[in-house]
Amino acid sequence: MEFLPLTEPVLLILLSLAGQPRHGYSILKDVERMSDGRVVLSTGTLYGALRRLLDEEWIERFEERDSSRGRQAYRLTPQGRRNLKLEVGRMKQLTRLASLRITGKEA
Amino acid sequence: MFSISVNIYRHLLILYPASHRQVFGEEMIAVFGEMQAETASKGVVARSLFFVREAAGVMTGALLEHWRALGGDPVWPTFPIRRFTMRTEFRFPKATAVLMTIILAGVMVAIKQGEAIVASVPHVSQPVGTIHPVHSVLLGGIVLWLAFFYAAGMIGWAVLFALRRSGVHRLAETSTGPK
Repeated sequence: MEFLPLTEPVLLILLSLAGQPRHGYSILKDVERMSDGRVVLSTGTLYGALRRLLDEEWIERFEERDSSRGRQAYRLTPQGRRNLKLEVGRMKQLTRLASLRITGKEA
Repeated sequence: MFSISVNIYRHLLILYPASHRQVFGEEMIAVFGEMQAETASKGVVARSLFFVREAAGVMTGALLEHWRALGGDPVWPTFPIRRFTMRTEFRFPKATAVLMTIILAGVMVAIKQGEAIVASVPHVSQPVGTIHPVHSVLLGGIVLWLAFFYAAGMIGWAVLFALRRSGVHRLAETSTGPK
Protein backbone atom coordinates (compact mmCIF):
# COMPACT_ATOMS: atom_id res chain seq x y z
CA MET A 1 0.00 0.00 0.00
CA GLU A 2 1.81 3.07 -1.21
CA PHE A 3 -0.20 5.49 0.96
CA LEU A 4 0.89 3.86 4.22
CA PRO A 5 2.04 4.90 6.75
CA LEU A 6 -0.23 7.89 7.16
CA THR A 7 0.98 11.05 8.79
CA GLU A 8 -0.34 11.69 12.27
CA PRO A 9 -2.60 14.64 11.31
CA VAL A 10 -4.18 12.65 8.46
CA LEU A 11 -4.68 9.66 10.74
CA LEU A 12 -6.32 11.89 13.34
CA ILE A 13 -8.60 13.50 10.74
CA LEU A 14 -9.72 10.07 9.53
CA LEU A 15 -10.24 8.86 13.11
CA SER A 16 -12.27 11.96 13.79
CA LEU A 17 -14.57 11.10 10.89
CA ALA A 18 -14.69 7.39 11.77
CA GLY A 19 -17.15 7.91 14.62
CA GLN A 20 -19.50 10.35 12.94
CA PRO A 21 -19.66 12.89 10.10
CA ARG A 22 -18.24 16.27 11.09
CA HIS A 23 -17.81 19.77 9.68
CA GLY A 24 -14.48 21.60 9.56
CA TYR A 25 -14.51 23.27 12.97
CA SER A 26 -15.64 20.07 14.65
CA ILE A 27 -12.77 18.14 13.02
CA LEU A 28 -10.22 20.71 14.22
CA LYS A 29 -11.47 20.52 17.79
CA ASP A 30 -11.69 16.73 17.77
CA VAL A 31 -8.12 16.36 16.44
CA GLU A 32 -6.89 18.68 19.17
CA ARG A 33 -8.85 16.75 21.82
CA MET A 34 -7.69 13.32 20.61
CA SER A 35 -4.04 14.38 20.65
CA ASP A 36 -4.31 16.13 24.04
CA GLY A 37 -3.53 19.46 22.39
CA ARG A 38 -0.34 18.19 20.75
CA VAL A 39 -1.66 18.43 17.17
CA VAL A 40 -3.33 21.75 16.45
CA LEU A 41 -4.15 22.13 12.76
CA SER A 42 -4.56 25.46 11.05
CA THR A 43 -7.59 26.00 8.83
CA GLY A 44 -5.37 26.03 5.74
CA THR A 45 -3.72 22.76 6.67
CA LEU A 46 -7.05 21.10 7.42
CA TYR A 47 -8.59 22.06 4.10
CA GLY A 48 -5.46 21.03 2.19
CA ALA A 49 -5.79 17.60 3.78
CA LEU A 50 -9.55 17.42 3.22
CA ARG A 51 -9.16 18.31 -0.46
CA ARG A 52 -6.62 15.53 -0.96
CA LEU A 53 -8.77 13.03 0.92
CA LEU A 54 -11.72 14.06 -1.27
CA ASP A 55 -9.60 13.64 -4.41
CA GLU A 56 -8.58 10.17 -3.28
CA GLU A 57 -12.24 9.41 -2.44
CA TRP A 58 -11.42 8.49 1.14
CA ILE A 59 -14.03 10.97 2.36
CA GLU A 60 -17.10 12.63 0.86
CA ARG A 61 -18.69 16.00 1.36
CA PHE A 62 -22.36 16.67 1.95
CA GLU A 63 -24.60 19.42 3.24
CA GLU A 64 -25.75 19.05 6.85
CA ARG A 65 -29.54 18.76 6.88
CA ASP A 66 -30.08 19.99 10.42
CA SER A 67 -27.80 23.00 10.03
CA SER A 68 -29.55 26.33 9.63
CA ARG A 69 -26.48 27.67 7.82
CA GLY A 70 -26.32 24.78 5.34
CA ARG A 71 -22.82 23.84 6.45
CA GLN A 72 -20.77 21.32 4.54
CA ALA A 73 -19.83 18.21 6.46
CA TYR A 74 -17.52 15.30 5.74
CA ARG A 75 -17.77 11.55 6.26
CA LEU A 76 -15.65 8.50 5.52
CA THR A 77 -16.32 6.52 2.37
CA PRO A 78 -16.10 2.70 2.48
CA GLN A 79 -12.70 3.00 0.80
CA GLY A 80 -11.53 5.47 3.43
CA ARG A 81 -12.72 3.22 6.26
CA ARG A 82 -10.98 0.23 4.68
CA ASN A 83 -7.70 2.14 4.38
CA LEU A 84 -8.00 3.41 7.93
CA LYS A 85 -8.43 -0.17 9.16
CA LEU A 86 -5.35 -1.20 7.19
CA GLU A 87 -3.32 1.56 8.82
CA VAL A 88 -4.54 0.68 12.30
CA GLY A 89 -3.72 -2.98 11.61
CA ARG A 90 -0.23 -2.00 10.51
CA MET A 91 0.26 0.02 13.68
CA LYS A 92 -1.01 -2.84 15.85
CA GLN A 93 1.45 -5.23 14.26
CA LEU A 94 4.28 -2.75 14.78
CA THR A 95 3.29 -2.19 18.41
CA ARG A 96 3.13 -5.93 19.05
CA LEU A 97 6.56 -6.42 17.53
CA ALA A 98 7.97 -3.49 19.49
CA SER A 99 6.57 -4.86 22.75
CA LEU A 100 8.11 -8.26 22.06
CA ARG A 101 11.49 -6.76 21.23
CA ILE A 102 11.50 -4.46 24.25
CA THR A 103 10.63 -7.25 26.66
CA GLY A 104 13.13 -9.53 24.91
CA LYS A 105 10.64 -12.34 24.28
CA GLU A 106 11.52 -12.65 20.60
CA ALA A 107 14.88 -13.90 19.47
CA MET B 1 -11.23 43.09 15.90
CA PHE B 2 -13.27 40.03 14.93
CA SER B 3 -14.37 41.35 11.55
CA ILE B 4 -10.94 42.87 10.85
CA SER B 5 -9.10 39.58 11.26
CA VAL B 6 -11.76 37.70 9.29
CA ASN B 7 -11.45 40.28 6.52
CA ILE B 8 -7.68 39.95 6.53
CA TYR B 9 -8.08 36.18 6.35
CA ARG B 10 -10.54 36.58 3.48
CA HIS B 11 -7.94 38.64 1.62
CA LEU B 12 -5.19 36.14 2.37
CA LEU B 13 -7.24 33.45 0.64
CA ILE B 14 -6.53 35.27 -2.63
CA LEU B 15 -3.19 33.46 -2.47
CA TYR B 16 -5.01 30.20 -3.23
CA PRO B 17 -5.88 29.11 -6.78
CA ALA B 18 -9.38 30.22 -7.76
CA SER B 19 -10.60 26.62 -8.02
CA HIS B 20 -9.72 25.95 -4.37
CA ARG B 21 -11.29 29.23 -3.25
CA GLN B 22 -14.54 28.49 -5.05
CA VAL B 23 -14.97 25.15 -3.33
CA PHE B 24 -13.56 25.81 0.14
CA GLY B 25 -13.23 29.59 0.46
CA GLU B 26 -16.42 30.43 2.38
CA GLU B 27 -16.10 27.33 4.50
CA MET B 28 -12.51 28.20 5.49
CA ILE B 29 -13.57 31.74 6.41
CA ALA B 30 -16.43 30.39 8.56
CA VAL B 31 -14.11 27.95 10.36
CA PHE B 32 -11.47 30.65 10.85
CA GLY B 33 -14.19 32.90 12.33
CA GLU B 34 -15.21 30.20 14.80
CA MET B 35 -11.60 29.53 15.79
CA GLN B 36 -10.91 33.23 16.12
CA ALA B 37 -13.99 33.75 18.32
CA GLU B 38 -12.85 30.93 20.57
CA THR B 39 -9.28 32.31 20.79
CA ALA B 40 -10.51 35.83 21.58
CA SER B 41 -10.97 34.97 25.25
CA LYS B 42 -7.43 33.61 25.58
CA GLY B 43 -4.18 35.40 26.37
CA VAL B 44 -2.02 37.48 24.05
CA VAL B 45 0.50 34.68 23.46
CA ALA B 46 -2.23 32.18 22.56
CA ARG B 47 -3.83 34.68 20.19
CA SER B 48 -0.49 35.56 18.60
CA LEU B 49 0.31 31.87 18.09
CA PHE B 50 -3.12 31.37 16.57
CA PHE B 51 -2.62 34.16 14.02
CA VAL B 52 0.93 33.03 13.19
CA ARG B 53 -0.28 29.44 12.74
CA GLU B 54 -3.20 30.49 10.54
CA ALA B 55 -1.03 32.80 8.40
CA ALA B 56 1.60 30.08 7.97
CA GLY B 57 -1.15 27.55 7.18
CA VAL B 58 -2.59 29.74 4.45
CA MET B 59 0.79 30.48 2.88
CA THR B 60 1.94 26.87 2.95
CA GLY B 61 -1.46 25.61 1.80
CA ALA B 62 -1.61 28.11 -1.06
CA LEU B 63 1.89 27.18 -2.19
CA LEU B 64 1.03 23.47 -2.22
CA GLU B 65 -2.25 24.06 -4.05
CA HIS B 66 -0.41 26.02 -6.74
CA TRP B 67 2.14 23.23 -6.93
CA ARG B 68 -0.67 20.74 -7.41
CA ALA B 69 -2.34 22.97 -10.00
CA LEU B 70 0.95 23.04 -11.92
CA GLY B 71 0.91 19.25 -12.03
CA GLY B 72 3.05 18.61 -8.97
CA ASP B 73 3.29 15.13 -7.56
CA PRO B 74 0.33 14.60 -5.23
CA VAL B 75 1.33 11.12 -3.99
CA TRP B 76 0.81 10.14 -0.39
CA PRO B 77 4.42 10.01 0.80
CA THR B 78 4.72 13.73 0.11
CA PHE B 79 1.43 14.44 1.81
CA PRO B 80 1.98 18.02 2.86
CA ILE B 81 0.96 18.09 6.47
CA ARG B 82 3.68 15.86 7.82
CA ARG B 83 5.07 17.39 10.99
CA PHE B 84 8.65 18.50 10.91
CA THR B 85 10.55 15.87 12.85
CA MET B 86 13.66 17.94 13.27
CA ARG B 87 16.19 17.28 15.98
CA THR B 88 15.73 19.27 19.14
CA GLU B 89 18.90 21.29 18.67
CA PHE B 90 17.62 22.65 15.35
CA ARG B 91 14.28 23.80 16.74
CA PHE B 92 13.62 27.27 18.03
CA PRO B 93 11.18 28.04 20.82
CA LYS B 94 7.71 29.35 20.00
CA ALA B 95 8.59 32.50 21.92
CA THR B 96 10.98 33.40 19.07
CA ALA B 97 8.02 34.01 16.75
CA VAL B 98 6.46 36.34 19.30
CA LEU B 99 9.79 38.12 19.82
CA MET B 100 10.23 38.59 16.06
CA THR B 101 6.71 40.02 15.83
CA ILE B 102 7.49 42.46 18.63
CA ILE B 103 10.73 43.53 16.91
CA LEU B 104 8.86 44.05 13.63
CA ALA B 105 6.25 46.12 15.46
CA GLY B 106 9.09 48.16 17.02
CA VAL B 107 10.57 48.82 13.59
CA MET B 108 7.16 49.93 12.28
CA VAL B 109 6.73 52.29 15.26
CA ALA B 110 10.23 53.72 14.67
CA ILE B 111 9.35 54.39 11.03
CA LYS B 112 6.16 56.17 12.05
CA GLN B 113 8.07 58.23 14.63
CA GLY B 114 10.63 59.13 11.98
CA GLU B 115 7.87 60.31 9.66
CA ALA B 116 6.39 62.42 12.45
CA ILE B 117 9.79 64.05 13.13
CA VAL B 118 10.28 64.79 9.43
CA ALA B 119 6.84 66.40 9.30
CA SER B 120 7.53 68.49 12.41
CA VAL B 121 10.83 69.97 11.16
CA PRO B 122 10.16 73.57 9.99
CA HIS B 123 11.25 74.44 6.49
CA VAL B 124 14.38 76.60 6.42
CA SER B 125 14.78 79.46 3.99
CA GLN B 126 16.84 77.33 1.66
CA PRO B 127 14.99 74.05 1.28
CA VAL B 128 17.11 70.99 0.75
CA GLY B 129 14.56 69.47 -1.57
CA THR B 130 11.72 67.10 -1.15
CA ILE B 131 12.18 64.56 1.60
CA HIS B 132 10.82 61.30 0.32
CA PRO B 133 9.39 58.93 2.87
CA VAL B 134 11.50 55.85 3.09
CA HIS B 135 9.04 53.48 4.71
CA SER B 136 8.12 51.88 1.41
CA VAL B 137 11.79 51.18 0.70
CA LEU B 138 12.31 49.93 4.24
CA LEU B 139 9.26 47.70 4.07
CA GLY B 140 10.40 46.32 0.75
CA GLY B 141 13.80 45.63 2.27
CA ILE B 142 12.30 43.91 5.28
CA VAL B 143 10.12 41.74 3.06
CA LEU B 144 13.13 40.86 0.92
CA TRP B 145 15.19 39.94 3.97
CA LEU B 146 12.36 37.87 5.39
CA ALA B 147 11.97 36.06 2.05
CA PHE B 148 15.73 35.50 1.93
CA PHE B 149 15.91 34.04 5.44
CA TYR B 150 12.79 31.96 4.81
CA ALA B 151 14.35 30.52 1.65
CA ALA B 152 17.67 29.92 3.44
CA GLY B 153 15.82 28.22 6.28
CA MET B 154 13.89 25.99 3.89
CA ILE B 155 17.08 25.00 2.05
CA GLY B 156 18.82 24.30 5.36
CA TRP B 157 15.90 22.24 6.56
CA ALA B 158 15.78 20.32 3.26
CA VAL B 159 19.51 19.50 3.55
CA LEU B 160 19.12 18.36 7.17
CA PHE B 161 16.03 16.35 6.28
CA ALA B 162 17.83 14.68 3.35
CA LEU B 163 20.83 13.86 5.56
CA ARG B 164 18.55 12.48 8.23
CA ARG B 165 16.64 10.33 5.74
CA SER B 166 19.90 9.06 4.25
CA GLY B 167 21.00 7.85 7.69
CA VAL B 168 24.32 9.67 7.47
CA HIS B 169 24.04 10.75 11.11
CA ARG B 170 24.25 7.11 12.15
CA LEU B 171 27.75 6.81 10.72
CA ALA B 172 29.11 8.37 13.89
CA GLU B 173 27.63 5.48 15.84
CA THR B 174 29.36 2.89 13.66
CA SER B 175 31.87 0.81 15.53
CA THR B 176 35.16 0.32 13.68
CA GLY B 177 36.50 -2.50 15.77
CA PRO B 178 36.07 -4.52 18.93
CA LYS B 179 35.99 -2.55 22.17
